[in-house]
Amino acid sequence: MQCVQFDKTVENEPDGPLPADAILHLETCPDCRLLRSDLDVIRAASREWGAEELVPPPAIWVALRAQHESEGLIHGPQVPTHVQLGDSVGGKSWLTALLGGSGTSAPRLSLAGAGCLLLVASALLGLQLRMYSGNVSSNAGSGGVLARVLPAADSASASPLLGLDLHQTLEGDMERVMASLPGQNASLAMSLEENLGIVDHLIAACEKSMREQPDNPAVRQYLYGAYQQKAVLLATAIDRTTLEDR
Amino acid sequence: MARTRPIDTVELTEAEAIRRAQQGDADAFERIYRLHNRRVYALCLRMVGNTAEAEDLAQEAFLQLFRKIATFRGESAFSTWLHRLSVNVVLMRLRKKTLAETSLDETADADEESSGPRKDVGGPDLRLSGSVDRVNLERAGEKLPPGYRSIFVLHDVQGYEHNEIAAIMKCSIGNSKSQLHKARMRLRQLLQENERDRARQERQAAKGETAGNR
Repeated sequence: MQCVQFDKTVENEPDGPLPADAILHLETCPDCRLLRSDLDVIRAASREWGAEELVPPPAIWVALRAQHESEGLIHGPQVPTHVQLGDSVGGKSWLTALLGGSGTSAPRLSLAGAGCLLLVASALLGLQLRMYSGNVSSNAGSGGVLARVLPAADSASASPLLGLDLHQTLEGDMERVMASLPGQNASLAMSLEENLGIVDHLIAACEKSMREQPDNPAVRQYLYGAYQQKAVLLATAIDRTTLEDR
Repeated sequence: MARTRPIDTVELTEAEAIRRAQQGDADAFERIYRLHNRRVYALCLRMVGNTAEAEDLAQEAFLQLFRKIATFRGESAFSTWLHRLSVNVVLMRLRKKTLAETSLDETADADEESSGPRKDVGGPDLRLSGSVDRVNLERAGEKLPPGYRSIFVLHDVQGYEHNEIAAIMKCSIGNSKSQLHKARMRLRQLLQENERDRARQERQAAKGETAGNR
């Protein structure tokens, strides 16, 4: 057997046992022995690479679920097709829609206020506030909404009943916001309801992941993000209604 | 529409989960995802070598799966169907990146042309053992043409059999074996080049050190 024939034999059966004439060739050919040895090294390194456990981040499932719902692939409340996870996490499109579509008509004060509140909320969550006085005023506009979200989100990290209290608190705020909307502004009310539905979905998906992986900090982070979004949404709506009342 | 009855997704068999997912059951989708997400994600990550891109591809693969699941009739194993779909998603992305619509055979032919006749047979006297670890292999693997990389990752890294690869890549078993061998030969060449570069750098560093001592 020649080297070329040996190579062809290995190509036909890369992992199979070598026929007798190939073994004979190996004994007399150092180059093919070296080739054989190198291929064994590659195989071994590949196995080592493959043995490494790879776990996808929970964000993939959260995003998938949101996408499935938006496309109507699964049972559950319908979500508008333009909504993507990135939008809801980034808090752009639904806020813009809420504030009037293009965003140019949105009150600058509301946007600036919501932005500042979100920054404050993120900073406080980042520090993982452990101290909370407990009694925060239940009214007084957007500041109140966010103030109640922060400690509740923090306590959610320690509680198996993730964010249940927080959810109820936000529900109360939502009712108050809906009741305070000017009667003639039906489009604002509709937009708010629609966007709250989206955020609620995100919260539900995050809560489910949290129940399954209670010790995963990434999941908790997503859940906090979702709560923040709901709080900012409500805060923005309160700002908006306050401005329109003036 | 609210779910009519909760199901324990952990108890669902794959076949049952598929049947329910075909009817749009959210829990069944999740069960399927949990059953296969690690392997699909690992496949994507090992084929593209980039975490963000792998996440994106895994998401895209499952999205396509759930869009098409109603058309799954069970002619092939579900895992084969899913992994074929995933490989296609990855290959499409890789091909878009290289702006070349090449088939598996075309890639192989082109590579054969560029590397010339079997110069690897009795090639340079440079033993790889000891110098090849997972990191080196990963780097060299990134330089493989997409067709080779797919078969190499599927077989050597992910542990698929040739008959499974043949089903996934829609090629013959013989073709799968031949492509795998060529992929390994190409990898060997790349690893040897890396090894030579490393040796050269070491020599230069040693020379510089000697000159500095004088």
